[in-house]
Amino acid sequence: MTDKACPYEESVTKAARSGKWSSELEEHRNGCLGCAELTLVVAAFTTDAEMLEALDAPLPDPSAIWLRARLATRERDFQRATRAIVWVQRAAVAVALAVGMAFTPGLWKVAKSAMTGLNLASPLADLPRAAGSPLLVVVISMIVLGGLAFLEFTSLSEG
Amino acid sequence: MALSLPRVAASEVADRNTGMDEAAFRQLYQCTARPLRAYLLRSCGNLALADDLLQESFLRMLRSGFEGEDEEHRRRYLYRIGTNLLRDHFRRAKPETDRLPERDEGRAHDEVMHLRSDVGKAMDEIGPRDRQMLWLAYVEGASHDEIARIMKLRSASVRSMLFRARRRFAEVLRSRGLRPGVEES
Repeated sequence: MTDKACPYEESVTKAARSGKWSSELEEHRNGCLGCAELTLVVAAFTTDAEMLEALDAPLPDPSAIWLRARLATRERDFQRATRAIVWVQRAAVAVALAVGMAFTPGLWKVAKSAMTGLNLASPLADLPRAAGSPLLVVVISMIVLGGLAFLEFTSLSEG
Repeated sequence: MALSLPRVAASEVADRNTGMDEAAFRQLYQCTARPLRAYLLRSCGNLALADDLLQESFLRMLRSGFEGEDEEHRRRYLYRIGTNLLRDHFRRAKPETDRLPERDEGRAHDEVMHLRSDVGKAMDEIGPRDRQMLWLAYVEGASHDEIARIMKLRSASVRSMLFRARRRFAEVLRSRGLRPGVEES
């Protein structure tokens, strides 16, 4: 027997799977070693498949699979939707850090003079001029917001 | 022992081009889950593992958003996922080699009664890849191209690989005294 395919192979396979043999095909099978072998193998596999498909063991619950798939889809949608926000947060953190680092030396002087000149007992009008500096307000706001964004970002990453 | 030649009752399901909503999923599951589990079970020899792989196959298909052209397309896609999962399982079981192991030694093959049948024992004597290939060809009726896609093989190689697998298995069956029953046409 060579590995050259018998021209009846496909028909024999179909007949062996369905159990419907024509007399001509049956005659061929009985005289062809390759087709007899094919019939034997197909019979073994289809018999085995029927036995395994008929197992009493219950199948896993499809509802659970569907629910898991939906949860996974929601999670993926959420990740997609928040991706832009995460990038904005990253940018905010980067800007805040850059501004903070650029102004740290000058800011330290301003903060130091503000703290040393601060008299808690005095009225608001007596506060040093530096305390009302727009630059100081902007920088402190950015640092605070940047910190909050960083916290939000890290909690998102962990989640 | 004589083997009867069973008549395969093909469960024809109306083709639907709609998306995979829950009803479509349940219908696909009802038609495909048992045959797919039988395939996975015969390949890995462990019912619990086969059930896990079955769930994972459906889950991956749903997550991928694959809709398929018809029921048969979706079925083939599921078999492909299942076969990939089996391959991953075998690789994890034997990380020292890229080659598929000839047998899933780590699992109890006699866990299910039917796996202890004469045919089941004969199947244990051939490699998982041969079992998968023969199953796809003769139980699922997959073409050589489909087998190549499912098993990630070269289409040109499938015919000769299938032929060799068939020969090996036939020899095993003959050595166990198994022969085809005489079928009345």
